[in-house]
Amino acid sequence: MRAAAYPAFALTAFQSRLVYRNQVWASAFGDLVSIFARIAIWTAAFAGATQVDGITLPEMVTYALLSGPLLYWEYSRVLYDVGDAVRTGDVAVFLLKPLHYPSYLLSTHFGHFAFECVAIVVPVALIVGFTVGLLPPASLFHGLMFFPYWAVSWLILFTLACLCGLLAFWLLTAFSLEWLLMAIMSLFSGAIIPLWFLPTPLATIFGYLPFAWISYYPAAVYLGKLDPTATWLHLGIGLLWLGLLTAAVLALWGKARTRLVVQGG
Amino acid sequence: MSRSLAVVPHLVRMYVSTRMEYRGAMLLAWFAQALSYAATYTAIALLLLRFGNLGGWTWSEMALLLSFHLLAYSLGASLSFTQFRDIEEKVRLGTFDAVLIKPVSPWVYLVFSGLNIGYVGHIILAVGLMAWSVTQVGVNWSILSALYFVAGLLSAAMVTAAIMTMIGATALVWVRSKHLFSIFFGFWELARYPLNIFPVPLQILMLTIAPLGFLAFVPVAVTLGKPVPLLGDWAGPASLLAGPLAVLLGALHWRHCIQNYQGAGG
Repeated sequence: MRAAAYPAFALTAFQSRLVYRNQVWASAFGDLVSIFARIAIWTAAFAGATQVDGITLPEMVTYALLSGPLLYWEYSRVLYDVGDAVRTGDVAVFLLKPLHYPSYLLSTHFGHFAFECVAIVVPVALIVGFTVGLLPPASLFHGLMFFPYWAVSWLILFTLACLCGLLAFWLLTAFSLEWLLMAIMSLFSGAIIPLWFLPTPLATIFGYLPFAWISYYPAAVYLGKLDPTATWLHLGIGLLWLGLLTAAVLALWGKARTRLVVQGG
Repeated sequence: MSRSLAVVPHLVRMYVSTRMEYRGAMLLAWFAQALSYAATYTAIALLLLRFGNLGGWTWSEMALLLSFHLLAYSLGASLSFTQFRDIEEKVRLGTFDAVLIKPVSPWVYLVFSGLNIGYVGHIILAVGLMAWSVTQVGVNWSILSALYFVAGLLSAAMVTAAIMTMIGATALVWVRSKHLFSIFFGFWELARYPLNIFPVPLQILMLTIAPLGFLAFVPVAVTLGKPVPLLGDWAGPASLLAGPLAVLLGALHWRHCIQNYQGAGG
């Protein structure tokens, strides 16, 4: 299939979400409650202190928004899609079509992500910005560098979700894999607690794992916690991780295609 | 009523048998879910390690709060979550009509024909963490305080099951109600932190319209002798009443929705 056809899948996914307006309201409300809760948690943790470990409360509020709704997107949909396709046998239909299934997943879920950004994240960010206040990027350089970090973050999370999803070809269930990925992400991605508040040995180890590029590094770059040299260096390491994970997805998909057993029929 | 209750053990046995057919997947799911909660709790523990306390709650007190939250939720949700989440699909496809013509109460049939044993992983983790935390917190346990703790746990489980029943039942009238679970889980996540750290409007919400403050914070704060915002000395009796009251409201809402159910189409 021509590469130009894949954006159509993204557009279809985007448009399909417009139908379920109640889900948009519910998700936006859920994200809003969640972000205000996280702000309350950090406010309570700081307990009036101006800064802790060189981090101020307004920086943590901004970090909570960036590392939460913006960077830690609803990846479980990828696992559900692959899991359902394997469980129901629909995946056989994708094999018959002249398309590359992982690329199809990439386009479709980019469409979902774009919709969530427009319909949920931006309104939530505006409400938080006007009520609590959000910090601008630390500098023009950090602001501009946030975008490649954001792209790397999104693609790393997608490849991780895709890897777990493809394992469903062997386990015939994606349910447990979703929870395992959730466990990893809770601790290692920096979505709940940034690496700068962790004990040094843990922060050092977590800082080299690919999960840190999902929430921690992009938010840290935005807030100017990495100098320009470190920013370029970590972007390079992130791209390296992305390359490795992409290769792993392609290799696993190559094996999964020959491993497929569709039950029923 | 007695006929409905007599069928319960059979319904449960049948459902458990079907789940046991996929033993490996079930055990993996128990492990994965427990691991996920353990990872989140570790992140909270690391936060408390750095900051000392959260709204005056130390790690051992937070551990008691988290374990109570998980245990009460698991007990209530095993009777309700997947069963009532899936009502929407039954209504849309018209298969809910088949539930209505069964010679047992539709609620009893739905709850026990889908009694979710998938929460075993949650329960093992919650009981383990609770066993550790009750020995760490400075509570002088007596028969009365232990009875209150257990009754508070049951009341909290009732709150969970009642809210999920109400959300699921709404699909009988609105056809769609799954999105309401997103709102539920938004408040559910807040309920694992001390209520006093949130702004007053959120505290009011968590003790009234979305009464998940009673899921863990109120009973645990009463047990630990900590002040409960808005409720004060009434916190103890209120936490015991919350469950039965939620069940009563849930039953009324269920009955109303069943009476107004018209199917999803033609």
